[in-house]
This record gives sequence, C-alpha cells and structure tokens, in this order.
Amino acid sequence: MLSLFLPVFLVFLFLGLPVFFALLVAPGLLLWGAGMERDITLLYRNVYNGMDSFPLMAIPFFMLAGELMNRGGITLRLVEFSQALVGHFRGGLAHVNVLSSMLFAGMSGSAVADVSALGSMLIPAMEKNGYKKRFAAAITAASSIIGPIIPPSGIMIIYAYVMGESVAALFLAGIVPGIMMAVGLMIALSLLADRYELPAATKRAAWGARRQASLRAFWPLMTPVIILGGILGGVMTPTEAAAVAVGYALIVSLFIMRSLKLSDIPDVLMRAGLTSAVVLLLVGAAMAFKTVAAMARTPEQMASIILSLSDNALILLFLINLLLFVVGMFLDAGPAIIILGPILGPIFVELGVDPVHFAIIMAVNLTVGLLTPPMGLVLFVTSSVSGLKLETLSKAILPFLAVQVVVIFLITYIPALTLAVPRLFGFVP
Amino acid sequence: MQVLIALSRLFALVNASVLTLGRWLGALCILLMVVIILAQVFFRYVIGLGLPWPEEASRFLMLWSAGLMIGTAYRRGGFVAIDLLVALAPRVIQHVLTLALFAVSLVVLWKAWQIGWNEVTGLAGRFGTDSLNVPTSWDLSTWRKVPKSWQMASMLVGIAALIMVSVELILRELVAVFGRAADLPPISDRVVLGSE
Repeated sequence: MLSLFLPVFLVFLFLGLPVFFALLVAPGLLLWGAGMERDITLLYRNVYNGMDSFPLMAIPFFMLAGELMNRGGITLRLVEFSQALVGHFRGGLAHVNVLSSMLFAGMSGSAVADVSALGSMLIPAMEKNGYKKRFAAAITAASSIIGPIIPPSGIMIIYAYVMGESVAALFLAGIVPGIMMAVGLMIALSLLADRYELPAATKRAAWGARRQASLRAFWPLMTPVIILGGILGGVMTPTEAAAVAVGYALIVSLFIMRSLKLSDIPDVLMRAGLTSAVVLLLVGAAMAFKTVAAMARTPEQMASIILSLSDNALILLFLINLLLFVVGMFLDAGPAIIILGPILGPIFVELGVDPVHFAIIMAVNLTVGLLTPPMGLVLFVTSSVSGLKLETLSKAILPFLAVQVVVIFLITYIPALTLAVPRLFGFVP
Repeated sequence: MQVLIALSRLFALVNASVLTLGRWLGALCILLMVVIILAQVFFRYVIGLGLPWPEEASRFLMLWSAGLMIGTAYRRGGFVAIDLLVALAPRVIQHVLTLALFAVSLVVLWKAWQIGWNEVTGLAGRFGTDSLNVPTSWDLSTWRKVPKSWQMASMLVGIAALIMVSVELILRELVAVFGRAADLPPISDRVVLGSE
C-alpha cells in the first residue's frame, strides 16, 4: 500500500495542490488506508520538529540583510562599481548587469531579490542606451540565478538541513560555479555582440573614478566577507553570521549610507517573515514526507529503478541532470530540493559521488530551472518587472540558458570545480 | 447568492483584520530574533559569557512568527503549486478542480487541527522548555519554566489561520462560479515567496 505513496503524491502535485499540502496528503492518505492511523500523528510531530530548527533561522536573516541593503541604496553603488570595472566593454551595461548580479549574490542569496532590485534599475537604463528590451530583460533574468549559487544561499541552507550536510561546505562549493555562470554569460555577451547589435565599447573609466566607485561600494562589499569570514573562521554558526549580517546591514544603511528610513523597516521585516513562514512549513512537511518515504522504502525502490538504467555514475549523472532540468521546469528550486534530495542524494553518494558535489549539481540545475517555462519563478518576476510577455522573454533567454547548461555539465563532470574550495578549507576529504 | 457574498465579505474582513495583526506581531518576533542572536554573539565572543537561553528563545519566536504570518502567505498566493493543469482547463473544470483542491487542503488542515489540539493540551505540552523561564510574581522573586505547549500553540494558531483563509478562498471561488467575483474586495499584494 505504502509503495503507492510517490505516485499519489505526484498526482496531487500535478493536479495543482500546493506542494505543502501534497507533501502531507499523500503520506497521510496511505497511512490511513494501511490502517496506520496512529502514525498520522507522527506526521504532525515531524512537521513541527522539522520547523523547530536553529540552522533554518539563517534563511530569514539572510533575506532580511539583503533586503535592508537593497532598500538602503546599495544596488546603485554596486552598479556604479561594476560600471567602473566593466562598463567600457562592448555592450558595457550588459556586462555591468552580470557583474552586479554576482556582487549582489554575495549579499542576498535570492534570484528573485536580484531581479527585483537590479531589473527595475538596469532594464530601463539599458533600453535608454539602445539595447532591445527583451535582451535587457533576458540578461537580467539569466544573471540573477547566480544569486542562490554564490553564498549566502537560501536553497543551500535548506539542502544542508534536509540532507544533514555542512552549510559552510555548500556555501564554499557554490563560489566557483557561481563565478563560472557569470564568466560564461560575459563570454556569451562578447560572442553575440554583433548579433545583438550591442553598443560599441567606450573609454575605460579613469583610475580616480574607479577608486571613487570602489570606496562607495566598500561597505556593501564587506557583507560577504563578514558572513564567510565569520563562518569559516569558526567564530560563528551560519545563523549567527546571518544575524550579524542583518545588524551590519542596518548600521550601514541607517548610519553610514543614511539611505534607509526607519519607516521602511516594518515592511522589510514582514517580507522576511512571510518568506520564512512558507519555507519553514515546506521544510517541516518535507521532514514528514521523508519519514514516510523511508517507511515505504521509496529511496531503495528509486535506487533499483535508477541503477537498472546503468551502473555507470557518469551516465547516471547525465540522466539525473536531464531529470532535474525537467523537474525545474515545473517546480521551484526549494520545493524540488526538499522532495528530491532525500530520494536521489543517497543513491549517488552510494555510487561514489561526493555529497557536496551532488548537492551543488542539484542546487545549480534546479536554480537554472527558475528560468525555464512553464513554471519559472524568475521568468515570472522578470516579466512583471519589464512588462514583457512570458513567451517573448522565454525565447530571448535561450542563448543564455544554453551557457548555463554548459556550466551545469562542466561542474557535473569536473568535480574539482565544486570541491576545490571546500577541500582547501578542510570541509571535504 | 446574496448570503454567499455576505459570508465571503465577512470572512474577508475578519481575515484581513486578524492577519494584519498577525503580520505586525510576526515582524516583531523577527526583530526580537535578530536582537537575541546578536546578544548571544556579543555575550559569547565579546564578554566571553555563553548565555543558555538565546537559541531556544529565538526558535520559540521563529515558530511564532511562522504561525502568525502563514495565513497571510496562503491568502496572498504564496504557496507554491503547479497550477498549469488548472490554468489550461476549460473554465468549468477550472472551478471544479480549484474547489476540490481547496476542499482537500481544508480536510488536511482540519485533521492537523485535531491532532495539534491534542498535542498542545496533552502530556507533551505540559513539559517545560529547557532554558526559558517566566516570572510568576511582580517582584520577580519566583519563576517557572515556560511549558512546551506555549511554543506548540504557535503551529495551532497557524493552522487556525490557514483554516480561516481556506474557508474564505472556497467562498470566494463559489462566488466566482456564479460570475460575481467582482462584488468581493480583492486580496491585496499578491506575493512571490520562497528561498530562491
């Protein structure tokens, strides 16, 4: 009876039941059908205990820090800093867009926050400077997904919690793939400059102007240093580092840059609280789902199905990337990780894939899924920010999506790209 | 029909008011969480004194912030779902499917409420938390452990809010079936929520 648990879950999911309810309905129904009604109480307790977690508190804190910085005007300073560094390239504003996203990623860890902050500023600016709107929106969306890859990252915290991995190891492992995404997009911009008729290169900014822009961006750019420094120095837990980042963002925005109003704070707190509530409930439901999945021996069944396809880890990684890409088309990264992590993770670890490496393959692939129709969260937000139709945006983004697929395969088949940095800090043997 | 519209408006009014209060209290919880964790960092690394209660207190507040705010998130469309099938279906099927999904959600919530009530009022709720205490006299001379039920009640409050919102959404959908959705006050500020 319990073996029906995954198909029943998928039916409810594709009928349109919210993921939170689907995660509970399928196990609940089957436990009830199998006469194990007392275990339904166990489901409830699992949800509650899954939510009662200190590490998960880092998610609202990182969101809060990013939002405070954004309201405090750091986006503009990051863009000015990027402009001073790469604004002279051909298609300068497009390069600025990518670099700004990478820098913003070190503060917020959210692709949606990136698109909202940078999109509303850079898409109109690019249009004004002769870029086609659909191109401007597409590069903004494509570069925004660097947000959850470079630390801090909400989805990495979720993965670490659900799968019992080290947050610090995952944060470190995301650095190189995030930079590769940015470099890949910038190379694509250079190669496609003629096709997109990008504006010509301009004069390089003078050293004085560069120094000025660097000084103005100094305080915001210190945020990732504080977060990673605190965690890696063994001084703070990720949750404490996140709280310190919030305190730092408040001080910088209120007293140093003086660009945040006290009246902005309640709204920022509410947004962080709403996000945190949804994520907590989902993670709690995932813990309940995971328990019943183990009772139904779902991971073992899935393992035997997957291993019957091939016993070669490289081929299976290729197939799993295809599966994750398709899943990413329909589900956001967080819920997909919550559902698939406990099922797929152990199979690949058993095959000899490093757990941190697999976590990054999964996180990066599903993050790219935020850009793919029909259910691409970042596409929706970019469409709303730019006013472009979803169909137009989906087509315009294709060349950049191709770059990201290449990066996914590079990090899949060259584990050192992911593992070198965490290994350097002793997180991976 | 008029009864249905009046009932929908009543639920909309009650939910909007109660959830607004919940959002403010939830925001206060988040603010306190930050202050408590910063205090923990300060005491541990600056003064060299490890406090025993910040971690549990901040978890307590996090659970309450979630309980107080989850109703708003659901009401504003913040629960992730694959609604492609619903969107592609003919209008009648859309209404039927949406109502059925709301009904399934309501059944889950009702069951959760029953279990949650038993948990909060049962034996598990009577145990004390590890490190949280509250004064029981004005001169602060006597203290007692905070019972676990105070923390567990956060989830029950969240479930109650979700039930209220579910009923409102079902009523709204029924009104929409009869083509009278415009007669109801819109739900403001639809949100995109998630860790992404």
